[in-house]
Amino acid sequence: MSTLTFPVRAGAGASAATGTLAGLGNAVRFILRRNWLRLLIWAAVLAVMIPMVYGSQQEAFPTQAARDAYAQVANTPAVAAMTGLPYAAGSLGGILVIKIWMTLAVALGFASIFLVTRNGRADEEAGRTELLRSAALGRHAYSVANYLVAGSLSVVTGLLISMLCLSLSLPSDGSWTMGASIAGTGLAFVAVSAICGQLATTSRGANALGVGLVGLFYFIRAGADLQANGTNPSALSWFSPIGWAQNMRSFGENNWWPLLALLGLAVLGCALALRVESRRDLGAGVLPERGGPATASAFICAPLGLVLRLQRASLLGWFIGAAVAGLFFGSVAKVMASVLDPNNPFAKSFVGTGDNILDEVMGIFVLFNGLLAGAFAIQTLAGARSEEESGRLESQLAGSLSRFGWLWAHVLVAGVGSVVMLLVGGYLSGASSQGAATGGSMAAASFGYWPAVLLMLGVLLFCQGSIPRPSTGIVWVIYGLSVMAAMFGGLFFLSEDFIKLTPFGAVPRIPAQDFALLPLVVLFVIALVLATIGFWRFRARDLMPE
Amino acid sequence: MSTNTQAISVTDLHKSFGRTVALAGLDLQVEAGEVAGFLGPNGSGKSTTIRILLGLLRADSGSVKMLGGDPWDDAVQLHRRIAYVPGEVALWPNLTGGQAIGILSALRGSVDAAKRDSLLERFDLDPTKKARSYSKGNRQKVALVAALASDAELLLLDEPTSGLDPLMEQVFTACIREAKDAGRSVLLSSHIFAEVEKLCDTVTIIREGRTVEAGRLEALRHLHRTTVSVLLTGNANALASVPGINDLVLDGPKATFTVVEEDLGGVLEALSRYSPRSLVSAPPSLEDLFLRHYGGLPAEPRETKAGRHAHAPAGGAR
Repeated sequence: MSTLTFPVRAGAGASAATGTLAGLGNAVRFILRRNWLRLLIWAAVLAVMIPMVYGSQQEAFPTQAARDAYAQVANTPAVAAMTGLPYAAGSLGGILVIKIWMTLAVALGFASIFLVTRNGRADEEAGRTELLRSAALGRHAYSVANYLVAGSLSVVTGLLISMLCLSLSLPSDGSWTMGASIAGTGLAFVAVSAICGQLATTSRGANALGVGLVGLFYFIRAGADLQANGTNPSALSWFSPIGWAQNMRSFGENNWWPLLALLGLAVLGCALALRVESRRDLGAGVLPERGGPATASAFICAPLGLVLRLQRASLLGWFIGAAVAGLFFGSVAKVMASVLDPNNPFAKSFVGTGDNILDEVMGIFVLFNGLLAGAFAIQTLAGARSEEESGRLESQLAGSLSRFGWLWAHVLVAGVGSVVMLLVGGYLSGASSQGAATGGSMAAASFGYWPAVLLMLGVLLFCQGSIPRPSTGIVWVIYGLSVMAAMFGGLFFLSEDFIKLTPFGAVPRIPAQDFALLPLVVLFVIALVLATIGFWRFRARDLMPE
Repeated sequence: MSTNTQAISVTDLHKSFGRTVALAGLDLQVEAGEVAGFLGPNGSGKSTTIRILLGLLRADSGSVKMLGGDPWDDAVQLHRRIAYVPGEVALWPNLTGGQAIGILSALRGSVDAAKRDSLLERFDLDPTKKARSYSKGNRQKVALVAALASDAELLLLDEPTSGLDPLMEQVFTACIREAKDAGRSVLLSSHIFAEVEKLCDTVTIIREGRTVEAGRLEALRHLHRTTVSVLLTGNANALASVPGINDLVLDGPKATFTVVEEDLGGVLEALSRYSPRSLVSAPPSLEDLFLRHYGGLPAEPRETKAGRHAHAPAGGAR
């Protein structure tokens, strides 16, 4: 209607005030304000890995002769599959790439996925985008601002990495391709996440899709690197942006052209996402929201079944993690033992001073597997406290379920699950070790850590019974200190006798050390006493939701 | 069923959290087969009382009996005979509403599938959706369906209609009437006066952890004043001299005032002399009772339940 015209606010440029990008500057500032700390932490944590890893590698391979020796054995299937084909293992820069490039690239990929979802689909799901769009903000302004901010994290992190490499006096062309290849991977996953955010209706769905794609691209390039012909991965590598970035070969050939492909994917992917955005309704997704069963099965109606169902994804993840770690350790054990210089103090602090270095290496894995099972057990039992915290326990206990029965189901899943992890990880490490140890003996050695895992559960139960609110935090701190003492105690100049008094240090590290029953019995008894007190206190106290 | 006629009997209940006193001598009686309203502002101790009845919190002192048992010691046995709807319903975000209903129902014993399905239809709830995507109202419906589908003798409902739209509130009202007809007892904590007036046989009003008013709804009404609005033919000024008329507000021929129950006859007789053209009398609402206690007056613990303090000055309710 002609009589009802609103005055367009003067001042802002006419085109910017009406186009689909109107308010872009404000949107960028707004997103930066909500995310600056998060961005800073991501960039700092990723970049600081460079000098840390560089320092440790310089110590592990102090001479050119040591690096040359490493180059001879670096190209194992396990290394190729996990961290990519080594291109320049005879130089410190090349070793740095083997040790940390894949971790940084994948981590930046995850950071990009989470950031874009957080400021994209999550805001839309929560209705915040609706509020913003009702203001003078163009249709694409907020999304473009989101992609720009997430992309800037990649660029800044890449620049930081290059600068740090240069400051460590690494070759300049390698330093620049190192930063650029990692930044390029991040940018490619900004585009991937942008598209995921358009397809899924929920932030959880968008994140799951994005993380799944990172995993898929990782495995595609792992397959390509395993089927490599010399230093050339199979053609499969071109179906993964991580593979493109690897082919920049920092500190090797230093190719720049794959960066063009990564940037192209980033720009085209974001453009595609914007195109989908202009065709769909606010709040809607392209993929339908999946429904679920309308009734509960008898399985999840039982307290134990419910815990298993709630922890399903986590249990699966931990079991697969233990299996992969076992296979990996087993397959590299012999190589590690042959490379490690028994006179190197850094190596000594890890594997000890025993005569048989291969047994020492296998012993490290047994400890590692035990620590992994401990973390699993704590995380699983901490789920009991989250049920109480969220108020869901209240509804369950209002039914005819005893407190003991409810808590026992959680303890059972944590306790039995950790046994499965210890046995599976131990067995696979022995079975894949090409004769360094047998699967059975490694499974038995790993099982020796069960009393230490139970002690962690005992401490957690004690805290849940007496000081529920900080219980989970306290136990993680105790666990962290125990890990430090058992893993790195020698580095901190802790005495052998003191390490033997810590939960994981007390367990005999078979096959490196001889079996001893007493420490296991002591751990078990302490665990039992703490758990009993915990159960008793839990049954007598008020329920404490947050 | 026990021979005990009281579903809930709470006397002189005390509970503190550290230095915070939540309950300071609360009394609450619910007769078997009746619907009891439980009113009080936020933080007055309603939810704490219900959590003690559920054995989730332990009472500091006082006597608490539910269905003839002790809520703390006999929790598991008692919970087979009760159903609970919390004010803030927390569900498992990655399970569906239907799964949550199943889990909660199974914890109470047998599940009546036909009854559950009819309740799902009446409350218009899609049980195949993940709980993550439910609004507050829908989460409330999940807990209501699970509770009402059970054959519990006693329903403990903590502000069960917060988040429901008016249409769903009507469904809820109908469901509670049916529960009452089936001989169940209900404790209904609420903020909605209309709901309590519609449904409840008795009302307990609490403040700062103490019971300040309790009794049958009609008995409580007797304690308070009826509001009368009249339109007279002439000027209404003359009403000022009529004994028994309080809080008189005049506006030409119109007048509004309050009358205590026992003076009503005399006042009506006097009114007839002024030939009124219209007369509207409103019984005291629960809201009046409530505001009388929370309208800025200090809490006054009642000595006896039948005690009369009807002539206490009306506390600015009007």
